[in-house]
Parts: sequence; C-alpha cells; structure tokens
Amino acid sequence: MPQPHESVSVRATSHVFPATSRTVSELGDDNALESDHAMLERFGFGSVHVATDETPYDLARSAACNLIWEEQLDPTSIGLLIYGGTPSSMAFASHNNAAEGAAGLCTANRFRFPATRLQYELGLENAAVLALDQMACATLFGAIRVARAMMVAEGIDRALCVASEFYPLLAGREAIYNCTSDAACAVLLERGGARNRIAGAATITKGYYWDAAAMREEVVASYFPTAVHAIRRTLESANWCASDVDWVLPHNVSERSWDILLRLAGLPRARLWSENVARHGHTLAGDNFINLRDALATGALRPGDRALLFSYGYGAHWSGLALEV
Amino acid sequence: MHANRDNHLAHASGGVLVTGASGALGRLVLQQWAACESPPAIAVLVRSRARWLELSSRLRIPSDVTILDGDVTQPGLGLTKASRAWVAQSTSAVVHLAADTTFSRPLDLARSVNRDGTRHLLDVIADCPHVTRLAHVSTAFVAGRRTGRIVEAAEGASTADIGWVNAYEQSKTEAEALVRAARRDVVILRSSTVACDDASGVVTQRNVIHRALRLFHDGFAAMIPGGAGSTLDVVTADYVADGIARIALRDAVDGETVHLCAGAGAIPLSELLDESYARWSQDINWRRRGIAAPSLGDLATWELFASAIEETGHARLRQVTQALSFFLPQLGLPKEFVTARATELLGAPAPQVREYWGRMIDHLEATSWRGVAGLSEVAA
Repeated sequence: MPQPHESVSVRATSHVFPATSRTVSELGDDNALESDHAMLERFGFGSVHVATDETPYDLARSAACNLIWEEQLDPTSIGLLIYGGTPSSMAFASHNNAAEGAAGLCTANRFRFPATRLQYELGLENAAVLALDQMACATLFGAIRVARAMMVAEGIDRALCVASEFYPLLAGREAIYNCTSDAACAVLLERGGARNRIAGAATITKGYYWDAAAMREEVVASYFPTAVHAIRRTLESANWCASDVDWVLPHNVSERSWDILLRLAGLPRARLWSENVARHGHTLAGDNFINLRDALATGALRPGDRALLFSYGYGAHWSGLALEV
Repeated sequence: MHANRDNHLAHASGGVLVTGASGALGRLVLQQWAACESPPAIAVLVRSRARWLELSSRLRIPSDVTILDGDVTQPGLGLTKASRAWVAQSTSAVVHLAADTTFSRPLDLARSVNRDGTRHLLDVIADCPHVTRLAHVSTAFVAGRRTGRIVEAAEGASTADIGWVNAYEQSKTEAEALVRAARRDVVILRSSTVACDDASGVVTQRNVIHRALRLFHDGFAAMIPGGAGSTLDVVTADYVADGIARIALRDAVDGETVHLCAGAGAIPLSELLDESYARWSQDINWRRRGIAAPSLGDLATWELFASAIEETGHARLRQVTQALSFFLPQLGLPKEFVTARATELLGAPAPQVREYWGRMIDHLEATSWRGVAGLSEVAA
C-alpha cells in the first residue's frame, strides 16, 4: 500500500471513438443484437460507435497523442507505458481486414506489437513497455494497478495506460444485454499529483467463469453479489463508507443492472453518473475513465468529490477504484 | 412421545377421520397415535387404496385403520352413500391434513384442494352428529405479506388488502375462514415450512426450500430479498407431527389457533447463508469455483431484479426466477410467529433451526441433492 507521500493520481484522460455511429434500432435492423432493440432502449442504450475504417491502433495512438498534447507533456517524462486491448497484428487491422489481422496471429506478424510501436511513435523513449491482455472491460483497472505498484516501487513519476478494443467483428454488438462500442482510452498517472488521487482499489477475479458464453446464467447470477463485494472492498481500501461516495462513475452497462447493483451496494441511484450510457453504450476500452473526463467537463464532478469507479470484465474480473477528485 | 387419552385424545371417544393421512405429516401422526396405550379408531380418506396399503404396510401403520375411498376435491368428498352414512355414525373427530402444498400452483388449482376440499369436508361433517372436534391443519404463511409479530389467532392471517406471496397461502387462508365460519369446535394448527425430518437433518420430502438451496449451491442465485432482521422460520416434521398428534384431539382448545413454528428459534438469514456456504466450502472443488452467496436486498430490489430478468426473455433465467418467486419474497417480509400457546400446550418450543440447519445442509450434499431439482430441471 503506497504511503501518503507516494500517492498516485489520475492526472488526465483522453479517449477517441470511431467516426461511425449506429442507433440501437439500426443495430436491430442489421441483426447485430441478440435481444429486442426496444428492450435495450428501455435498458438505457441509444447509440454506439462502430469502427469501420479505423484500426484499434489508430484509435489508441489518437487517444494517447491527444492526451500528451492536451497536457503539454514532454513525452520523455513518461517512464512507463502499459497497453491493453486488441493484440499484435489484429491491432493494425480495420474491421474490413479483421480476418487477415487474426490470421496474422499464426504467422510472424504476431510479433508486430502495438505497445512498442506506440512507444516509438509517441516518442516515449524513457518508457518501460508492458502489455496486458485477457481482462476485457477491466483492462484499464489492471493497467492502473500494475502501473501504480511499479511507480511506487521503482520511483516512476509518470505512467501512460492505453486501452483500445473493438468488439469482435462476428460477435454482433451485444454483450449480455449491453450494447457495445469500439473505442480507445488513455490514462495518465502521476506520482504525488494533486487531483484524482487513487484512494483505494480492489479486484476480484474468478476463473471459474472464464467461459462466459457457456456460463451465461452463472455469470449473470455471480455478477451482482461479486460486484457488491468488489465495491465494498474498494471502499474499505479507501477507508470510505457508502455515504462518502459523491459519484459512481460506471462501466456503461444497462442502467437497469446499475439500478439493482446500487441498491444492493447501498448507494443512492442519484449518485450514478449515467449520461454516457445512452450516447456511447459500453466500450471495452474504458467507460469509467471516459465518464470521469466527461463528468468533470460537465461540472457534475468537482474537485473534492469522492468518485467510485467500478467495472466488470469477461474472464472474469470485478474491479473498483476510489478517486479523490 | 406418547399421547395420553385423558387429555390428548379427549375427542377420540368415537372414530377419528383423517384426510391427508398418506402425506408426510399425516403418516407420522398416525404412527404416533398407533403407539398410544389405547390408540384411537382411525378412518382415512384416500384417493388410492392400493397406494395406502403399500404405504401403511411399509410404515407399519396398524391394519385396523378403516379405509374410505374418496377425494377432497369432489363434492361429498367423493364418498359413497354408504361410506358417508358410516362416517356420520362413527366419527367423533376429524383431522384435516389434506392439502396441495405446492407453492407454484395457479390459484384455481390451489383452491380446488385447499379451499374447496375444506368446504366439501365441512359439508360432510355437518351431517355427523357425534363430531365434537375439527382439527384443521393450516400453514403459518396464511400471514402472507404481513410483517412483524404474527399472532396465534384469526388476525394472524393476511387479507386481500395485504396480499399473499403465492396461491397456496391464499387458498389456505380462505380455508381457515371457511372452518371458522362453519364451526366452533375447531382448532387450527398452523405449521411452518418443514425443512427436514428431525434434528438429524435427514430430508425425506424435498420442497421449495431445498430447491432454492440447490440453486444457491450451484451458483444461480444473484440475490435474495431480506435485510438485517430477516429470518427463515422452518420446522422439523417430527415436531409438527407431534404437535398435531397431541393437540388435534385434546380438550379445551376449541376456537384456538396454534403456531407450530420455530418462532423465536427461527434462523437469521445471514447466519443461514454463512452456515450453508461454510458447509459447502468444505468441498475443495466447490470452494474453487468462488461462488458468492447471493446479495441481500429489499423486496423492491428483488422485484426489480425479477422484472429485469423477465424482460430479457432469457428462458432459463426467467424460469429460475419465477420458481424462486413463489417463496423468496417471504424472506423480504420479516415476521416472527408467536408460539406461546404451542409452547404451553406441548411443554417446549420447537427446536431452534440453527441446531439442525447445518446437518440438513450436509445431508442434502451427501445425498447429491437427490430429488431436488437443479437448474436443468427447474428450467425444463
């Protein structure tokens, strides 16, 4: 556990969506949904972003470049880069070429890595490079966990975590009653920063649920009680109680499921910042951090607030983060 | 425990007509009476004579029991004219155990047995001049959606305004109202839900509680209604049967209602979950799955969850939720059954649930949940 003088903060975030959007109704017409589109609309979804010409790497680089530019950073000041999301050759393939990208995993193209390419193209010449996989929607939580620990242990001042993930081309646009978007998100961590201090974090992984498609009923059943445990552990690690939370910054799964989870966790519905569920849907790359930025931009989230971030990722990982804004 | 004719069998001077004798409780009551020094003369109303003969032989119920072919769902109990005349002349007491205890029955079917069956019985015994006692075996859950202390009186039952959780509760409430309106020599014995045979934890008759536990065990329960003060009131079959055998025919209980419930010995829901999951965790293969105990939420949250599942249209999840919805909402309606009169009449309260709950969990596991529907059966 970092000491107070070793605290790590989220200095800034940036994200990029692909240019094309589709409404839930249009996705229904395209047979891209398993459920009735009207039900998904009742669950809070409006439209999602669908990559056509862009590649996951394009979005990752844009998100990271924007962040560095917005923060006027010297790229050489970044000591750690963690990339999570679409791996190897697939990261350089648009949806139109997804099959070719996937086939590349069986060739030497498997060693064409987006993480090291990012380091080079962004000029992060002092950054150690790592990549994370197999955490799905909890990837950025995993990246931040690793980065935070390394920053404290190795004295790294700045770390950049980047996630870029497309929903699989042949998987439609629905993940267990949630509409999915393609996106990339970058998070800049800083040691000893004044804002968005990480006050606590917790992750629960249950490998029994590794095959989500085959264990749909079990996954749905385990989601809520394990999410409650993860949220409680996160609050405990921050020495908060539920009433300390000013805002819940969600992963953008259905508002109906959030209604249930908040009640079970003893958190008021009014504290859920859910404005992005309808307009963006659920990204695998970083809903919570996209919401952090947007909630700050709208003025809903203000300095001094306490924000709880929670996400579930296939695999199965339940992750929470407590931020002092 | 042996009944004493002077008191416990005071109304058995003539014959005792028993409905529902082949049920889990009925057979135990008859066995207990058969063990008395001067057993009462028993007549049983059965739908299947062959099944009764097989059962009574297996359970060593004395062969001098008079068998009456009939069916409570039929007017006149389906008795022949001769049988009805025999009942009229030979019966001094009636113990009405016959019931459809399936929580998920539609209301019309539940009423057919529980309400209309009781009405048919009342019609028959109206013509029995020697009957001085009707013991009506009911359920404590006629309390329906009432919360708080549930008294051993008509007022303990729910009303249409308050409502019930399932059709079984409603139909049994309607049956109670019928017997109260029809006779003054009634004693109403309200049983809690039977969890196991006795304090050993052995389960002979599986019911909705065991089905719910199996779904918990198998990791299909996301949440259950209930809060810090919620308890589960269950009893052992031997306690209820003993209570019926010793109170149904005794004197000085006319017009009374008695709760055969755990009452203050009910188990807190949090303790129930902790105990169950701790027992299951002793199996390393189960523990490695990391199955979480369901979250506790209020009734409104349960209804929100159930409606969301309903809305998704996912067939298996819907069927599981529907199956649980006939029982689980009771956990979100905290109540404590008053058992003062039962304790006074029987000399001791029911065994505390925590005394045998763990052994019952072990028994279900040791018997591989035999006879308890899992997801595939519930959702079939």
